[in-house]
Amino acid sequence: MNPPSYNATPSSLSQHHEHHPYRQMRRAHAKRRGRILAVLAACLLAGVVLTLMLGQSFTPLTTVLRIMGGAEVPGASFTVRELRLPRAVVAVLAGACFGLGGVAFQTLLRNPLASPDIIGISTGASTGAVFAIVVLSLSGTAVSIIAIAAGLGVALLIYGLSWQQGVTGARLILIGIGLAAMLQSVTAYLLMRAPSWSLQEALRWMAGSLNGVQLEQALPLFIALLLFGGLLLSRHRDLETLRMGDDIAVGLGVRLALTRITVVITAVALVAFATAVTGPIAFVAFLSGPIAARLVGRNDSLLIPSALVGALLVLLADYAGQFLLPARYPVGIVTGVLGAPYLVYLITRDNKSRGTL
Amino acid sequence: MSASSLLTQHLTAGYGERTILNDVSLTVQAGQTTAIVGANACGKSTLLRVLSRLLTPEQGNVWLDGNAIHKLPARRLAQQLGFLPQSPIAPEGITVLELVSRGRHPHQGLFQRWSAADEAAVADALSATHMANLADSAVEELSGGQRQRAWIAMALAQQTDVLLLDEPTTFLDINHQIEVLDLLTDLNQTRGTTIVMVLHELNLAARYADKLVAMANGNVYAVGSSEDVFTEQMVRDVFGLESRVIDDPVTGKPMMIPLGRHGACKRKHASTADRETQA
Repeated sequence: MNPPSYNATPSSLSQHHEHHPYRQMRRAHAKRRGRILAVLAACLLAGVVLTLMLGQSFTPLTTVLRIMGGAEVPGASFTVRELRLPRAVVAVLAGACFGLGGVAFQTLLRNPLASPDIIGISTGASTGAVFAIVVLSLSGTAVSIIAIAAGLGVALLIYGLSWQQGVTGARLILIGIGLAAMLQSVTAYLLMRAPSWSLQEALRWMAGSLNGVQLEQALPLFIALLLFGGLLLSRHRDLETLRMGDDIAVGLGVRLALTRITVVITAVALVAFATAVTGPIAFVAFLSGPIAARLVGRNDSLLIPSALVGALLVLLADYAGQFLLPARYPVGIVTGVLGAPYLVYLITRDNKSRGTL
Repeated sequence: MSASSLLTQHLTAGYGERTILNDVSLTVQAGQTTAIVGANACGKSTLLRVLSRLLTPEQGNVWLDGNAIHKLPARRLAQQLGFLPQSPIAPEGITVLELVSRGRHPHQGLFQRWSAADEAAVADALSATHMANLADSAVEELSGGQRQRAWIAMALAQQTDVLLLDEPTTFLDINHQIEVLDLLTDLNQTRGTTIVMVLHELNLAARYADKLVAMANGNVYAVGSSEDVFTEQMVRDVFGLESRVIDDPVTGKPMMIPLGRHGACKRKHASTADRETQA
């Protein structure tokens, strides 16, 4: 054990704030984080531009820019504006929603397995959406609202079922996984009862897909991201303080119940809004936080990095599913293949090391 | 910084059906170091949890300078009252500097930026705990003693008038135990911080605390200076242990030597042997 060193910084240093070593340390950390976020954002922008250019046919950048400027280019306008643009925009928005919702849950429950797509909240939202469409014949915002209600209902149900003089993470997760499996079969049952549905449509609600999305669907998603994402971000400091344990957080003046409720409602709403449009894109919520933690470290809030990673994941996985693989696969199949090994790794990993979140 | 006093009256508290504290009335003097001692499960940690508002009492209240703590806004209370639980776990990947900076949480508003006062508080806390040269290390890589100092630095950065600590020396080597208690005494003497801590080690409690609170069966057995409270009778009643209490040769404070079955035997043998040699 190292003996304590007593040549510590003299307290007179606190009077010279300009040359403060801690300020420099903070600045170095912030700079590194800023650089990584800038690279992520640049990748996202490049990804959007590339998916607008590439597809079954190649559209040069200049043509894409002209079309985006409002010009009509025969043969290219329809492809770019009606097919590629809605897909890219919805991919980015839905990915950001999943990334934010996932990391919020993982941070709140201090466990990477506690992601909404593992513990049944996405599945619940999906079941709610299918129920609204098939049984109630609804569409549009009404579907989103029912999806959110279902997501919140599942969250409450998991919480209630795992309550035994307090809630422990492990029990909550196991109950959530069980509920997810049950809800999955409810979705399958509802889909089978609607014989006019195509396989593509069924796949959307089982695994998530961007096929046939419209630009109009992006607006409610954008508003949800601004509203609930903003609300979540306003609590990022409390959420970070909660990582130090409930006792420390209370000692530091965090209002536990208020913070928990705000985080759960905003995270469920984000996930449910995205699910109502794209279906439960597998593992994006689950993967975004841990990937973001690997990239930026765990010294600061993961909310924004995770939103960027989620957007990038959905955008790239959708592109891969459409054009890079031998057949066309919905985006959820691709992210599912990416996420499953990580899930297995987390479950089989030695229990004594804690998660990265 | 002005000293603050804590007061409880007819406090009853517990977990669900189980009542642990029964009608506890206690006054913690401003500017003093108070150590709570007692056998396992006597309610000392529960009392500390109620004092720090982690647990809401069923009856009675806790008063901080005349204000009921359960009615104060969380953030304002956290500016006056700090709490360090027993062996807290640091989030993975966090540096010492960031951990200590979290102590400024109650002083920061929603959109308030990191201020010069925040930076000064963190710098003072790091140098007081001799953690300045470890500021950029990850907390999980520190030794047990260093880690505990990092947590205390976080509590110092909070700059509260009252600091509550639940067994701040558990799992530490004896040299680190002394180091932590010396540090808390410095804090008490230089800043006038009122310190309340649960301590397991009776002799250290007697040495470092201005006031001892001995607890038994969910209530206060005795309160007072260690000279008044720390008696063979108290050790017998509170811990169920036969002991000899002597004056600590270094500080003159009371010091307990447990008799135990085997310790006592050996001593008897030795004295018989002495007598035999003399005869």
